[in-house]
Amino acid sequence: MRNSNAKALAAATAGALLTAAVLLLHAAVGCDLNDPDRDVKRLFPGSTGYKTLYVSIAKRGGDELQKKIEARLGDKFTGLFETADVPYTMYEVYKGADLIGYIHGVNQKGTYGGIQVFLALDTSGTIRGFYFQKLTSRAAKAFRALSFGEQFQGLSLEDFYKYDVVSGTEDPAGPISRIKNPDPGSEKDFRAALRAAKKNLILVDEFLLGNAHLKYFKG
Amino acid sequence: MTMPKKLAAAALVFAAVAPGVLRAQGTLFYFELQAVGAYATDTRDFELFSLMPDDVMQKPSLGFDLVRRFSGRTRDIGVLAVQARLAYDNEGEGKLEPQLYNAYFRLKTKTFNFWAGHNRPALGISSVLDSHALLLPAPAMLGFGFDRDWGVGMERDFPSGSLAVSLTTGSGMPLHFRGNYLVAARLSKGVLARDNYSVGLSLAHGDILDTMGYDLVMDEPFAWDSAGLDATYAWRNFETRAEILLGRRDDAGTFLLFWRTGLALLEEGRLKVEAQPVLMRRAGAWEYSLGSGLTYLFNADLAGRFMVLYDGERRGARFVAQLYYYKGI
Repeated sequence: MRNSNAKALAAATAGALLTAAVLLLHAAVGCDLNDPDRDVKRLFPGSTGYKTLYVSIAKRGGDELQKKIEARLGDKFTGLFETADVPYTMYEVYKGADLIGYIHGVNQKGTYGGIQVFLALDTSGTIRGFYFQKLTSRAAKAFRALSFGEQFQGLSLEDFYKYDVVSGTEDPAGPISRIKNPDPGSEKDFRAALRAAKKNLILVDEFLLGNAHLKYFKG
Repeated sequence: MTMPKKLAAAALVFAAVAPGVLRAQGTLFYFELQAVGAYATDTRDFELFSLMPDDVMQKPSLGFDLVRRFSGRTRDIGVLAVQARLAYDNEGEGKLEPQLYNAYFRLKTKTFNFWAGHNRPALGISSVLDSHALLLPAPAMLGFGFDRDWGVGMERDFPSGSLAVSLTTGSGMPLHFRGNYLVAARLSKGVLARDNYSVGLSLAHGDILDTMGYDLVMDEPFAWDSAGLDATYAWRNFETRAEILLGRRDDAGTFLLFWRTGLALLEEGRLKVEAQPVLMRRAGAWEYSLGSGLTYLFNADLAGRFMVLYDGERRGARFVAQLYYYKGI
C-alpha cells in the first residue's frame, strides 16, 4: 500500500473512531473468575461445562434500571466499581444439557481498595457457595475461611431484602444478623462483604432469574 | 505497509463502523484514547512518546479492545481478542501508525486452552502483567522478551498455579520468517488475585530477530536463551513485583534484575505511587534505570499518569505525562 493511501486510511479511521467516541456510554471494570475452569469445577463438582455471559445495566435498561436496582439494594451506586456500564460477567453452569446453577462476582469497596465477592447459586437463586476472589484485609485469612463462607449457604435475596446495607442492620433480626464477623476490627470489610452479596443477588435476579425475587421486595 | 499493520488498519476500520453489532451478550468492546508527552533532560526536547521513538507503546493514539466469546449450547468454545491502536508517530514517515497488539483466537478444550495469533509469549512477568496502558516499562519493553509475538501457545490452570507454553516467531510486532523462532514456557504457583502472591519460573530458547516496534534492526536472527524467576506479592494496599532473568543473547551474557513496587492510596485505591529500579547487562555492558510513577483514576474511564525515569546510560531523565481514556460501548 502506498504511503499516501496509508495516511488517508489512517485519517479516515481516526475520524470515524473519534465520531464513535462521542457516542459512547460510561464503562468500568468487570469481575471475572481468575480461572473459570478450576472455579466452576470446585463450586459445582458435577458440572460438565459453563457458558460466559456479559451483561450491563447500561445495555439492559440504563439509568431507569439502575435506579430500580439501587432501590432494591437500599443504597446508591458510587465510585469506580458501580457505574451503569460495568460489564458483569455471569456464568451459566451445566451438567450435560441441564442448567444447574450460576456463578457471579461483583467488585466492592473494601478497606484497602476493591474486593471481589463471588456467589455460586442454584437455579432458584439460593446461595450454595460464597467466596472472596480478591481480598486484601487485616482479617483476610478469617474472611477466606470456609466457616465464614458457609454462613451464607442456603440464603437468598428474600433474606437479604431485610438487611439495610447502609446501617448494617437487619430488621427484624434474621439469618443475616446471624452471620458472624470473624474480626470485629474489620467491620468495614465485613459490611462490604454483606453489601456485595446483596448486590450480587439483585443483579443475578435481574439479569438471569427474571426478577423471581422482586415479589419479596417491600421498598 | 507490513501485513500486521494492514491487519491493524483493517481492524481499526471495522471497529469504527461496527460497534452497533458488538453489543451482544458475548462481546466486550472498549474504546481507548490516550495523550502522551515527555520532556527529556538529555536532549532538552519535548517528545510525543513515552520512551523510545521507534517503539510502539505509549504514543498519542486512539484504539479499541475487543473480546468476543463463542459458545455452544452448554459450554464456551473460545475467545477472539483484538486490540489495536492508531498512533501518532512524529518520528515516522507516515505520522500515523496502525498498531496491532492482541489478535488471537483462544480455543477452549477440556485439557488445555490453545491460542493462535498475536499474543503474549509465555515468558516472565511480562506474560501476566497487562502493561498496555502503563508508562513504567515492563521487562519486555526493556528488551528482555516480547510484549506480543506471532505464533501459537497452550495454557492450563491448576488448583495452585498454571502452565503456559508458546512457540512464536521471535519477531514481536512485525511478522517475519527468516528462520526465526522462540520457544518459551512458564510454570507458576499461586494466583495473585486469590492468594495475594504468584511465583513463576520461565525458560526460553530460540533464534530471534532484533526488532524495534515494527522496524527490523538486523536482517538475520540471532540465538537467545533465557531463564527467569518472577514473583508478585500483594499485601493490603501494597503490591510488589520482581523478576530476575539470566541468559545469552548472540553469545553475550544478559542479566535483568527488575523490581516494581507500588502503594495504592485514597478511596478505592484511586492514587497509586510506584517505584521501579532496574539493573541490566546486555552487549557486555551494565545499565540501570530508576523509575517512579503516579497514577490517578479520575473516574472509571479516565486515568492520569506521570512518570520520571532516569536512564543511567543516557545520563538523563524523562518526565512523561499521560491521559488515558478507556470506555466501553
